[in-house]
Amino acid sequence: MLPLARNARLQVRSNQQTMKRASDFHDKYGNAILASGSIFCITVWTYTATQVGIEWNLSPVGRVTLKEWRDQ
Amino acid sequence: MFSRAARSWVLRTTGGGLGTRGTHSPGGSARSQGKMASYYTNHYAQRSYPMPDEPYCTELTAEQQALKEKEKGSWAQLSQEEKVALYRLQFRESFAEMNRRSSEWKTVMGCVFFFIGLTGLLIWWQRVYVFPEKPVTLTDERKAQQLQRLLDMKSNPVQGLASRWDYERKEWKK
Repeated sequence: MLPLARNARLQVRSNQQTMKRASDFHDKYGNAILASGSIFCITVWTYTATQVGIEWNLSPVGRVTLKEWRDQ
Repeated sequence: MFSRAARSWVLRTTGGGLGTRGTHSPGGSARSQGKMASYYTNHYAQRSYPMPDEPYCTELTAEQQALKEKEKGSWAQLSQEEKVALYRLQFRESFAEMNRRSSEWKTVMGCVFFFIGLTGLLIWWQRVYVFPEKPVTLTDERKAQQLQRLLDMKSNPVQGLASRWDYERKEWKK
């Protein structure tokens, strides 16, 4: 029982220490970098995939309306 | 061996404040930073290497040396603060400290997405300046005609294209 309490006290103490630990670069800017990076990626790729004229040749099933092809 | 040294280098340059600033020990007594363990041979303790050869602080003040002498006796006579001070002399970080979470993944993933976005810009440039002329067979009109021809031929009628077309109702199967 006693060793457990001792471990708890050490743990609590180091928890208090981690609260006071100096924030590093990732704590300060990580969220901003993650958000801006993903927004940039999503916008660029939606634009490139849809507006730039790349032919993806998706399946016609359920999508394409038929057109007669035989020369009459 | 190399990865351990590399990891401790990363720890020293990016990691938490205690090691690099050398302040604020829980024992309260002043702790000299002293000469830190050379990370080529005796790098800091890590979860995978918890008992390095040399202690974290090798140059001790008189007060600390007295404490080390006291350590040679019965440990029951050491107070809690003294035990923690001895621990801090021996190890740079506790396990809780060395195992703490970090926000590094946010920076990493943000940069990953940024470079994937750059790749998208690159492909845009390629579409404008590198891709050849789109063949006429890829226009919507021609593709619709080709589709009609494929269905007329009943191409892949078992599991493929024609199997998805309802010939009675002349529409795609639901």
